[in-house]
Amino acid sequence: MSHQKKEETIIPEKGTVLSAEKGTKRVILDILKKALAENLFDAVLIPAQVPETEAYSWILLQDESLFEWADPLPPVMTVQGGRALSSFSKNGELEQNIAALLRPCEIRAAIELFKLKQVNLKNITLISLDCPGAMPLSNYMSDPQKTKKDFQHILEKWENSESLRPVCQVCQHFSFIDGTAADLHIGLLGDKNKNITLIPSSPKGKKLLDQLEFGTKDSVEKWKTEKQQLANEKIKRIDAFNREWKKKINQANGFFNEFNPCINCHNCMNVCPMCYCQQCYFDSQAINFKPEAYMQKAEQKGALRFPLNTMLFHIGRMSHMVLSCVSCGACEDACPVSIPVSQLFSMVSDQTQKEFKYTPGMNREDALPLQDFTEQEFCEVEVPDECHEKAPEEAK
Amino acid sequence: MNKNIGVYVCECGPNIPERIDVDKVVQEMSSMDEVKTVKKFNLMCSNDGKKFLKEEIEKQKLSHVVVAACSPKDHEKTFMSVCQESGLNPYLFQLVNIREQCAWMIPDKEEATSKAVKYIRAGIHRVLYHNPLKKKEIEINTDVLVIGGGLSGIEAALSLAGPKRKVHIIEKTDSLGGMAADLSQVLPHQGSKMDLIKKKVEQLESSEFVNINTFSQVKEVRGFLGNFEAVINTHSGNGGVEEKEIKIGAVIVATGFNLFDLKKNPIYGYGEADNVLNATEFEDMINSEKILLKSGKKPKSVALVHCAGRKEQGYCSKVCCLYNLKFAHYLRDHHPDIEVKELVIDWCLPHKQDQSYFEEAKDKGVDFIRMDELLKTKSTGDQIQIEFKTNDKSHSVSVDMAVVAPAMVPSEDTTKLADILNIPLDKSGFFKELHEMLDPVSTPMEGIYLTGCALGPKNIHESLTQSHATSGKIFSTLVPGRKIEPEVKVSEIKEDLCTGCQTCLSVCFYGAITTDSFKGVSVVNEAICRGCGNCVGSCPSGAIRSKHFTYPQLYQEVLDALR
Repeated sequence: MSHQKKEETIIPEKGTVLSAEKGTKRVILDILKKALAENLFDAVLIPAQVPETEAYSWILLQDESLFEWADPLPPVMTVQGGRALSSFSKNGELEQNIAALLRPCEIRAAIELFKLKQVNLKNITLISLDCPGAMPLSNYMSDPQKTKKDFQHILEKWENSESLRPVCQVCQHFSFIDGTAADLHIGLLGDKNKNITLIPSSPKGKKLLDQLEFGTKDSVEKWKTEKQQLANEKIKRIDAFNREWKKKINQANGFFNEFNPCINCHNCMNVCPMCYCQQCYFDSQAINFKPEAYMQKAEQKGALRFPLNTMLFHIGRMSHMVLSCVSCGACEDACPVSIPVSQLFSMVSDQTQKEFKYTPGMNREDALPLQDFTEQEFCEVEVPDECHEKAPEEAK
Repeated sequence: MNKNIGVYVCECGPNIPERIDVDKVVQEMSSMDEVKTVKKFNLMCSNDGKKFLKEEIEKQKLSHVVVAACSPKDHEKTFMSVCQESGLNPYLFQLVNIREQCAWMIPDKEEATSKAVKYIRAGIHRVLYHNPLKKKEIEINTDVLVIGGGLSGIEAALSLAGPKRKVHIIEKTDSLGGMAADLSQVLPHQGSKMDLIKKKVEQLESSEFVNINTFSQVKEVRGFLGNFEAVINTHSGNGGVEEKEIKIGAVIVATGFNLFDLKKNPIYGYGEADNVLNATEFEDMINSEKILLKSGKKPKSVALVHCAGRKEQGYCSKVCCLYNLKFAHYLRDHHPDIEVKELVIDWCLPHKQDQSYFEEAKDKGVDFIRMDELLKTKSTGDQIQIEFKTNDKSHSVSVDMAVVAPAMVPSEDTTKLADILNIPLDKSGFFKELHEMLDPVSTPMEGIYLTGCALGPKNIHESLTQSHATSGKIFSTLVPGRKIEPEVKVSEIKEDLCTGCQTCLSVCFYGAITTDSFKGVSVVNEAICRGCGNCVGSCPSGAIRSKHFTYPQLYQEVLDALR
């Protein structure tokens, strides 16, 4: 296998620790306001509550007075941030400087899209932040106030909660990503609710901290320790999660059973940041046949389910995007019949990505596995004998 | 359109009927819908066979033709041109290979027959989905751009230039002749003195069909065989750069080589110890007819050290053994008082006169010393001490002067030029030919050819021969007054499905795909595309299709082959 994982993520030792007495969100917004006032950015792409409603949306903020509606960490993920950034930046380079504040999974999706030329990162500063997870969208829509309250509680305690979306509960990349993915990371862990930690993750991010006169003099150790603790807990949970799903889905039938309620609405595809095709094959005329062809098939099989290709759609979509799947959970939120789409995709992607030693969205340089061919790749499938020589090392 | 398919089964002498029941095949096919006629014939590729097929197409008013015969490599083109002559679009034809794929590989007659039936049925269903593709003709420019004014470039330019073909030659230094112009003499048994090179340069300079650009480099090359445009940068005396654009039909890369930098490895002592020279410095001494040490004194002994850089570079440079022998001969002939020691690792003397040249040097008293590995070269007082290992034992020799023979390495800017021309390099960093044995001067880019040491170490003779080969390629493809027909079975990209992710660009071997940055989509240049299909397979959005390998064509073909 070709994809040698680059060296372990290196986290800088120093950053800035700021007091969060005014409230975490307030402090983050103040930093962005300051950067706008000092013309370090011309606009900020950030989630915000649509005034007078309970809806959340992405907005490109220039007007400071609208900041009161902005929310760096909303309780739900409505539109995936990578998708929002793609629709904003795909068609060309930007002269102005933009800061985009996204959850880590959204940044990772943006980086995957960047590799596929669906996001243009010129003059865009990516800011990530520690993410406690998001609440299921359906829960929020049926009772916004309660869900907000529950989320606030989670945000204060940073403890696992069954009320979070299942993929968020086992998320492995909820914090700092890597040097070449984001530019600046905002650590909410550490002195929870008392302080926030700003960690530069690229030279651009470091320059930003200097320009804001925060500098990088403070130790980030406290944040790092707590982040590691939380990561360890999540690793235990993901092992159990994968085991449980594997037990349930030990055959193709098990997989199909999960997708049986599917009503073919293709919502999962429409909200997925990695489904960037102009038109899905399964939405095209190419899959439509004449009635006699269906009759023939029905005869062969005994019966035929309509519309055709419901299962094939999910398998096709999976084979197309699973190497870039960042387990953001958008598909599951969008499913009107509550299929655990994201959990299934997450379980499969975890394994396929491991086969290629590839973790999507971790840095801008790693080539997409299918664009990067080396002769030695998967030699155990092609030439078993040759592979044996290298096996001892690999086996570990 | 009425579908009248004609199916013809060729017997290929005894080849096919020995293993396949041809009559049964004919009978099976006759019952198929839309098949108007099924016939067998003994040798379809013979003149009689071609005449028969032509008459059939015309008489039966066929709309599609399927011939079941040999491999498409043998006769696909033969039958396609028969279709063309008979007024049927040649792409409404399908050849089914029942000889190699059925008759020759299945011993059981019944089994082979049933497989042939399946394959022909698949071909019939495929041909129904064929589109009548149209051939195109493109006007060509027959002029040639030669990059590099060394011996290889000069030779190619000389053989190509004429009233109907202008040659532009680009040289980055001030004069033509390249590395060879600095040599004292070519090896005695390989022909005349270096005047020959001078004569060639003069001939080139006086030719009205050659445009010589010294101090020049290629900045950009775009286009395809018969229609290239190149941007040339010429440095003028006052430090300015003049840019001009030329139109040519083909490009010859003759950028030659450089010498291995001896300072890269301290064992050669080059740059450290006085009186350690590289081969070109010694050539200069021969040219000035003064073999002197730094002190101004004449050396009493000279060591000729072979194979510098061979291990580092990983290949033998082929010419060093011979020119070391040349040095030895020179020293023995002109300075018999100088003792000559040649430190040899492996001999490379492949040409027919080389052996006697070596024997003569031995007779002249050259001391040949075999070494397994050079260890160190250092200054000891006035002398140079060379330490080496032979049979696991250390030895050393002391001499007044050491001449080290450096390996030939790719000339600088090779990588840059490869990028400009979109052609590959090999592991050693030289340009890579399409096939080392079978296509030794072509590149994946049709119309761009390679010659001389740009491909790897070569002697003068080999370089000149190769230059004639590149000229031959150009003579036969860019014929004045003739047009070229680009490949018809190319890929096409559906703009409304393309997301502009550029995956196809990374898999296109021929550089046929570019990005339309305004529309944000990829575009195929049909004149360059060779229809390999890489892009079709790679497109994550299914936006690319191959015109003669469409999904319905393949689907129908596979369906019937497996039914």
